[in-house]
Amino acid sequence: MHRFCAYEVPVDTGFFTPHHLQPAAICRLAFNGAGRWLSRHVISHRRLVVEHRTGFVYWSVQVVTGDRVGFFDADRLGVTVTGRVRGGGTQVECDVDVSGPLRPAGRPTRLRAVCVPLLLDGGPALSGAPARLGPEVLSAFLAEEIEERPHRSPLPALRAAIAARGAVLARGRAPFVIHRHQCEVADQWFWPEAVSLAGGAREELVRAHAERVAPLRLAMQAPVGRLDLLFNRPFFLFDEGAVLSTAYEWEGRLAFVHELVGTGAAGDEPRPRALAVEQFTCD
Amino acid sequence: MIVRVSGALLRFTDYQRAINVDAPTVEAALASLASEYQPLRKVLFDRNGRVRATQRIFLNGEPLEPDQLASSAGDADCVELLLAISGG
Repeated sequence: MHRFCAYEVPVDTGFFTPHHLQPAAICRLAFNGAGRWLSRHVISHRRLVVEHRTGFVYWSVQVVTGDRVGFFDADRLGVTVTGRVRGGGTQVECDVDVSGPLRPAGRPTRLRAVCVPLLLDGGPALSGAPARLGPEVLSAFLAEEIEERPHRSPLPALRAAIAARGAVLARGRAPFVIHRHQCEVADQWFWPEAVSLAGGAREELVRAHAERVAPLRLAMQAPVGRLDLLFNRPFFLFDEGAVLSTAYEWEGRLAFVHELVGTGAAGDEPRPRALAVEQFTCD
Repeated sequence: MIVRVSGALLRFTDYQRAINVDAPTVEAALASLASEYQPLRKVLFDRNGRVRATQRIFLNGEPLEPDQLASSAGDADCVELLLAISGG
C-alpha cells in the first residue's frame, strides 16, 4: 500500500473564489502537502537540499476540480497526499486530494504534480542541473512507490487537439514582470505563480471581449474544471514576460491556452517558458 | 565591456544589472566582477576556481563553452550571465 499523509487545514477566505477553491491556492496547498509527505516518509525538503544537494523543479501539473466547496461549507479542508518516484528516479510525482465536507461518492479536487530532481552545484544561488535521485534517497521509497515508466505530460497533445478542432473566440497578451513576492527562496518564480498569471491573463481577455463574445463569460461564472501546466524554463526576479492567451470553444467547453513567454529588447522568446490550459464547462 | 546580470544573480551584484568591466577577455571580466562583488565569487566559481557548469555565459548573444572563456572582448562587447535553473 502506498504511504500517505492525511490532515486538515483551517480555511481562510483567500482559498476561495465565489465559485470554488482558487486554483493557485490548490497548487500552494499541494506543494506544502508534497513537502509534508516527503518529510514524513522519505526526507525533509530542507535536508534533501542541504545534505544531498538535491532540489526539485515542477515540470508537469494537472488539476481536476471536484465537487464545489466554498468558504461557508466547512471550517477545514481535508488534504490527502501520496508520492512516488518514476523514470528510474528522474521524476518525483505526488497526488494531492483536497476536499471539503464530502458527501458519499463525492469527488475531491485532485492535483497531480511531477517534479524533476536537480543536482545542485553547491553554490549560494542553488543552481543545478536535472539528475536522478541518489541511491540513498531512492532507497527511502517503498517498492510500490517506485514506477519505472516515466510520466508523460498530456498537455502537448491537449493543446494540439484544441488548436486543431477548436474555434478561436479571442486572443490577448498580458505583459508581466516577476517580483520577489512571486518567487521562492532562490529568487526563481514560485511555480503556482504561473496559475495566477494565466488566470489574470484570462480575466483580461474576458474583460476586453466578453461583451462581444458571450461564451467567454462562462470563465467568470464557473470554476476552472481542469487545469494543465507544463514548465520548460523558469522566470527569475525582474524577468519580463507576457502571457499570450487564446480562448477557444472546443468540444462543448471553453478552453484557454496560455503561453508564458520571456520578452525583451529582441522581442518575444520563441519557446514558451511555461504553458497552461484551462478548461471550463457548464454544470 | 558591459556584463549583464539578471534574475537570481542580481542579489549577488547588489542589484546592478549592467556593469562596466575593463578586462581583455571574458574570463578576466568574470574574475574582475567577482573581485568587485565578493558574494558573486561563490556563485560563479567552484572551489577549484572553475566557472560552475550551471552558469550560462553569452558573448554578444552567443553561448560560450567553458573552453571559450578566454575569448577576447572589447569595450563594445556584451557578456551576459544567466542561471539556467535553481532548485528549491
